[in-house]
Amino acid sequence: MLAIETKNLTKKFGDKIAVDKMNLEIQEGELFALLGTNGAGKTTTIKMLSTLILPTDGEIKISGLDIIKDRQEIKEIINVSPQETAIAPNLSVKENLEFMAGVYQIKNKNEKIKELIKVFKLDEVLNQKAKTLSGGWQRKVSIAISLINDPKILFLDEPTLGLDVIARKELWTVIEKLKDKITIILTTHYMEEAESLSDRIGIMAKGSLVDVGTAQELVEKTGTKNFEDAFVKIATGGEL
Amino acid sequence: MRILNFAKRNFKEIIRDPLSLIFAVILPLFLLFIFQQFDIPSESYKLENFTPGIIVFGFSFITLFTAMLISKDRTTSLLIRLGISPMKSVDYILGYMLAIIPIILIQNILFFILAIMLGLSFSISIIYTILISIIIAVLFIAIGIIIGSIASEKASSGISSIIVQLVCFTSGMYFPMEALGKGFGTVCKYLPFESCLTILKGIMNNTLEIISTRNIIVFVIYTIAILAVSVKIFNRKMVTDNK
Repeated sequence: MLAIETKNLTKKFGDKIAVDKMNLEIQEGELFALLGTNGAGKTTTIKMLSTLILPTDGEIKISGLDIIKDRQEIKEIINVSPQETAIAPNLSVKENLEFMAGVYQIKNKNEKIKELIKVFKLDEVLNQKAKTLSGGWQRKVSIAISLINDPKILFLDEPTLGLDVIARKELWTVIEKLKDKITIILTTHYMEEAESLSDRIGIMAKGSLVDVGTAQELVEKTGTKNFEDAFVKIATGGEL
Repeated sequence: MRILNFAKRNFKEIIRDPLSLIFAVILPLFLLFIFQQFDIPSESYKLENFTPGIIVFGFSFITLFTAMLISKDRTTSLLIRLGISPMKSVDYILGYMLAIIPIILIQNILFFILAIMLGLSFSISIIYTILISIIIAVLFIAIGIIIGSIASEKASSGISSIIVQLVCFTSGMYFPMEALGKGFGTVCKYLPFESCLTILKGIMNNTLEIISTRNIIVFVIYTIAILAVSVKIFNRKMVTDNK
């Protein structure tokens, strides 16, 4: 079954077209990376797919549900870890987890929180206020929180942006553990991140989805030496 | 229930900021205490007039906290996360409002304890004043929601301090309206803060006759209008912030 399906998905802000007639299919359990230069339309796409903003035109189906008619049902089965660490700063890590469990009205709240603490190894920072955590820990907590409702689909918007190499690698390990269990849509600026983690990669440029494939397929298709060169060639239309 | 869950989180966020306690409780308590140490020849500074003034003054800081909390939630993208969750507009607005009620109760109880220690007689009217002050606080929370929805975290505190100043100068807590001159006095009468203060004074001192129809109309119109605007602006910003 398809986790995500879009048909001619379009978003306009006034005269500006942010996303232009995007057709995309993502399978259940797939880790799909969305790459693109700044302003390519990645974040706008994620915001539409995650019910945050409405499309101007076109269709979105999430697990077979319509983004407009079945908005409330979709909200129950998705979650997001936004670009900026979206956690309550004056609450401890445990309180953040409890707060979001309350937002999703999780029935087996305590068990779910214990499970996330174990998976993300949050014991050592559990009672620490979120604002006092390092950037790496904040991202980790942000991703842990986004799994509180056992989402079928998880959106990770630039999950490792601004992190040092160690923190980034640690988060990669966490993301890899989630692979196959849930569908993940990841946006990133790091080529090696997309290449190493994702099953398929979609490249966006000027609001359009220009190409989709595995990293290997895109390298072969463009006749380049590595994925970074393939990305540059696709994103610039071969100008560079 | 989502509203209570959100209110609980908001309450914790506010009280864990030490500045909140200093401005919302300690500063008004200090002013209430210090102004009673001088023999100021003005009716405004008598305990029965100045205590309700301090309550309204304390509420102006409620505007500040509400504004700062909302603008901070916008800055940290917490509202993006919540925008994707099943929470609805009503959950947010009531969640922000309910979080403030315990703070209002703490403020009022402490203000009255000090006022009684300074010589105010205890009466059942004090309980009524506390209850009515919760309704009056809705106006100040709504103003905070508007400021927090449109301004950045830094700008929120600056803009909210204008409300603090407006309360000081237009409510009549420091000097009687007559002392302000006819023109400015009339303006003050049609701003909501003088009505807020008069309503509280009337209830606390059991002198309901001082509460005019104008006071009630001005308060009700401002509260309903500002509350409606705050809901509209907050909902709109939830969408436009995410563009």
